[in-house]
Amino acid sequence: MTHTLHRRGSAESLADDFVVFAIAAQGFNAEGAAKKFEKFFDIVKKYNPNNFGDMRTGNSLVAGEDVIRKSFKDNSIVHAVFNDEDTVTKVLKELKEADLGLSIVVSGLVHKTDECCKKVGLEMHTVEKSLGIIGNTPRLPDESILEVTTMCGHGMIAFNLVKKLADDVKKGRTSPNKAAKEIAKQCVCGVVNIPRVERLIKAMAS
Amino acid sequence: MRVNEELCIGCGSCVPYCPMGCINLDGKAQIDLDECVECGVCFRSKVCPVDAIYEGELDELRLFRKTFSDPWIVHPSTNVPGRGTEEMKTNEVTGRFKRGYTGIAIELGRPGTGTRFYDVEKIAKACAAFGVEFEPQNPVTAIMSDKKTGKIDERFMNEKTLSAIVEFTAPNDKVVDILKSVKEASKELSTVASLEVCCRREPDGSLPMEELAKKAGFTPSLNGKVNVGLGRPLAKEE
Ligand code: SF4
Ligand code: SF4
Repeated sequence: MTHTLHRRGSAESLADDFVVFAIAAQGFNAEGAAKKFEKFFDIVKKYNPNNFGDMRTGNSLVAGEDVIRKSFKDNSIVHAVFNDEDTVTKVLKELKEADLGLSIVVSGLVHKTDECCKKVGLEMHTVEKSLGIIGNTPRLPDESILEVTTMCGHGMIAFNLVKKLADDVKKGRTSPNKAAKEIAKQCVCGVVNIPRVERLIKAMAS
Repeated sequence: MRVNEELCIGCGSCVPYCPMGCINLDGKAQIDLDECVECGVCFRSKVCPVDAIYEGELDELRLFRKTFSDPWIVHPSTNVPGRGTEEMKTNEVTGRFKRGYTGIAIELGRPGTGTRFYDVEKIAKACAAFGVEFEPQNPVTAIMSDKKTGKIDERFMNEKTLSAIVEFTAPNDKVVDILKSVKEASKELSTVASLEVCCRREPDGSLPMEELAKKAGFTPSLNGKVNVGLGRPLAKEE
């Protein structure tokens, strides 16, 4: 399942968009993983992610930190969103030292992620890339809307919601920050990059 | 999902939240159940001021829609929440994708259009023609009545879900032809699909899937997902 892949945008637009997440392999090392997710969460939280969440519990805005922390399960998938590669490098360094045994995946610009890995003595093991959208593409809205909605790979963010909120910002009915948070709330996993959405909404409204 | 028409005050607040655009306002909100995929967004958003949106009883087919559309649901076939699998996320532990092979996934209905299963079948059949073995730990594979041909169980053909992923691993010498065939088959789709590939990094740092994708006429994205190899125990390399 590819919830953080297929995020759209130019290299420039994606430069501040990294998700670090942890997962255990069912049938291999998942037994007792809940405790390890707690440690993972403590590490990522130290670096002030702009959003975070557990796919089993919810995101930072709806479930909140305390509920997420108390609810880890052996089949949780725990995410944290960051805006720069220096922070990702520090997070990876600490995760390597902690040696939790969970799989750690970074979603972001691959050449930047490769640099982060090399700096802390890690090697990319397996890489996944998008080859884009095929099929009946005339059904899709503008690229600017897709850049926002594809941040939630489960498709929880409606094209119409982005259009409406951008319009609300334009008409002064809400702020870009409030609009970004309303959008991020819809994504259960907490992988929407809130400052990036704020930036994109601001551009759409101007 | 349903709307209690006695409670609904017709404010329209729920309308833009629906990813399928299937809530219509005609005095009161009405959900087009044929288009609704039971994703739960309208309900979870808590946007309705009078709590008129409710799930109600779901029969087998409505539940089918929900398991593919609502990320809170854990699939019995995978024990993973959401509609897909662990794929490359745990590859250093499972050894699912080995050197010399490429993982391919085609997610029908993504982004934001949803899919019927007759469209899923078109893509599955195009891939099955190459003798691929569909990922067993995947909910789409679980509803194939013939895993050799990619045939989907008739009962689900017209059901609509937010998305559904056709997923398999192929030896590298077949990848270019498979990708070309998927592209060709996608011309017959009434929906869209997001296409992805994954592979092991070679010792020299290269990613063979990139060349293969280019040969098939695709441009691999600059961004992607990187498993950094910290999971334990490590799968044995062959
Ligand atoms: S459950 Fe999903 S598809 Fe159905 S009406 Fe609600 S938001 Fe729309
Ligand atoms: S938000 Fe509630 S009250 Fe308003 S139209 Fe939708 S169902 Fe009716």
